[in-house]
Amino acid sequence: MLKTFHPLPKLALCLAWIGASLVVFRLSFQIALFAAAMLLLLVDARIPPRRLLLLMVPFALFGFGFFTTSILFRAEAGFAVQMAQEQGGAPDVAPGLVLFFRVLACGMTSAVFVLTTDPGQFVRALMQHLRLSPSLGFALMQAMHMVPDLRAEMLQLRMARAIRLGGTLRRFPVPGEVISLAIPLLAYAIRRATRAALSFEARGLQPGRPRSNLPQPPIRRADWTLLFLGLGVLAATAAIMSIQAA
Amino acid sequence: MPDALSYDRVALRHAGAITDAVGPVSLSLAPGERVLLLGASGAGKSTLLHAATGLFPVSIPGDKRGTIRLQGQPVDSRRPADWADTCGYLFQDAGVTLAGFTVRDEIAFSLENLSVAAAKIPRMVAKSMTRVGIPQSWADRRITTLSGGERQMVALAALLAQDAPVTVADEPAASLAPSVGRRMADLLLALGCSTMVVEHKPGPILNRIDRCVALGRDGRVMAEGAPRDVLHQHDAALAEAGIALPLATRLHLAMPGLIDPRMPLQDALACVPRSRTERLRDTVLPIAIPIGEEIAALDRADCAPPFGPVVLRDVSMSLRAGEVLAILGPNGAGKSTLAACLSGLLPPRAGRRTGAPGAVAFQNPEAHFSRESVRAEIEGLDIAPEGVAPILEDWALARVADQHPFTLSQGQKRRLSLALLAETDRWPVLILDEPTVGLDGAAETALGRRIRVLARQRRGIAVITHDMDFALFVADRAVLLDRGAVQSDCPCPALMRDTARLAAAGLLPPEAAPILDWLEAAC
Repeated sequence: MLKTFHPLPKLALCLAWIGASLVVFRLSFQIALFAAAMLLLLVDARIPPRRLLLLMVPFALFGFGFFTTSILFRAEAGFAVQMAQEQGGAPDVAPGLVLFFRVLACGMTSAVFVLTTDPGQFVRALMQHLRLSPSLGFALMQAMHMVPDLRAEMLQLRMARAIRLGGTLRRFPVPGEVISLAIPLLAYAIRRATRAALSFEARGLQPGRPRSNLPQPPIRRADWTLLFLGLGVLAATAAIMSIQAA
Repeated sequence: MPDALSYDRVALRHAGAITDAVGPVSLSLAPGERVLLLGASGAGKSTLLHAATGLFPVSIPGDKRGTIRLQGQPVDSRRPADWADTCGYLFQDAGVTLAGFTVRDEIAFSLENLSVAAAKIPRMVAKSMTRVGIPQSWADRRITTLSGGERQMVALAALLAQDAPVTVADEPAASLAPSVGRRMADLLLALGCSTMVVEHKPGPILNRIDRCVALGRDGRVMAEGAPRDVLHQHDAALAEAGIALPLATRLHLAMPGLIDPRMPLQDALACVPRSRTERLRDTVLPIAIPIGEEIAALDRADCAPPFGPVVLRDVSMSLRAGEVLAILGPNGAGKSTLAACLSGLLPPRAGRRTGAPGAVAFQNPEAHFSRESVRAEIEGLDIAPEGVAPILEDWALARVADQHPFTLSQGQKRRLSLALLAETDRWPVLILDEPTVGLDGAAETALGRRIRVLARQRRGIAVITHDMDFALFVADRAVLLDRGAVQSDCPCPALMRDTARLAAAGLLPPEAAPILDWLEAAC
């Protein structure tokens, strides 16, 4: 279902939920949003649990400071307390826990969008409906092509370096190696971008020049329905919470 | 009717250069004509093509003198992008010039830029895919999942969809497996197309060419005319200028009066007396070197790139001192991964590798450079100061010793990268990954000789290549990779005569295959 959901309404819906997560300072809301996002990724997008756990690592690390302070030391970071006061947090819930689950909820909601959206279709939708400049749109697509190629280039540079220094290739580069690879990789990226820009120009891409668009899947009634359904659930949740608070 | 493309006393100079990259030259492409532009590396062929629609000097900084016209109009009268309706480009390395995210996006890109009605684009994309032989089911495939050869065919489909009346192509088949390269030539050089193509290896496309223009090392036209006439009348001068010649022409030069280059090779060989067997063999095959002990081996190895899936399973092979081994296979067969495992840079996922340490000379020689000048690179090998100059002389790099390595020509870069690995005894095993890409005829011949010299120094050399004639010229033995395994491991001439096995891997026999047959019959 999510993979066939048009990228733009899906983006709007994800942004709305992330916005709500940022303004609602309630543990139950953050946990519910996090659980819903996980459920969608597991059941609808069929992302393997192991991959999901790996995806959570950076978000968890970000919020871990609040979590450990709150749970292990039974104290609260000054920032967390201040946030709780400003956003009307309930006094019986540890603010650090709320912030920890907020990071996870926002992270997993972003993951719902990223893992269920075709990047090319998304960029094309932005060009077609939101007037993203074609030069910028195709530059974005080129950058997405470049990521795997940069990885291959980095591997070749690492092997050449291992040959030069007479060592074996480590599985992961050490910090000194990363620094020595930065400039050659940057040079590669610049050369490659220059060649791509020449190719685009030779094939007729020019800022300001009128161009047509390959027909893209339209925003269907089902997409609007899903969008308003999602917004409706959000509004209902907000209403229930405000009644409870009153 | 005006020429499709014409250059009138055109000279082009890159920004900051003190001499012209090419010219002054005057040449033309008539409507419906197919012209082959020949020249050594650095003769300015690509610069001439870039100037065809004004990319040079508008987007590539430089100076232009003279006049270039496309279908009778001066190219300066429009912006480079505006000429996309008239002139289509096919670049050498499609992998880095593709614009779209999927195959469909890519083929539609030029049509969108030309403001073709949106409703017509899907039909035009499908038609172009059919012409090139790309399955319709690939339309939604991401470009990044395609192999190098597949990307080049998608680039060709995009060019055909553009339907520009004039086409310029810069070494479009340089890194393609031979069978894919032939399919590309069939489509690109179909009768009636106005096409100007640059190709270092003209042999396979000569019968599709109407006229040949050869540029000398000074960037000026040195010969022009029908391909057979140019190659027959100027063979010695073309060879001197570093241009790769078809095999029959090279044989004619090596054995004057014995092979007529205007005849098909099989017919020409019928006139060769058996007393010339040795001479003929030495022209196409390497001179034998006594093979020594095994210096590196893989035993039931599973080879995989780091973090990637296993691409070759159960590989058992060895490399001996004094031996040159050709590693052959279609695009994406796992040749580079095998090279990394055989050299010991990557441990096999299963099985084991034994033997001396090895080094890989990568396809992109720039990966090996880390210093500010050619001299500094050689000095970095911990060689006594008095030893640096002889090495520079030996590798023909003395003239460019103080230049930054990135500013060298492709042939010079290749020599420097090889010198950095060969001028130290740390690496008894050397593996060269596609060493002939971007090299002209003279540089390729010199490289072949250099490889044999290194083998004579008791090194074990492996050469990954798509160039079957080069493999035959340098290698004693060949392994053929396909479908995730070693399909054949035998003497190189034997594999080159095994057309069925080559065809099964999507490869074509070398140009010299008739000579192998002749030698077999003669012996």
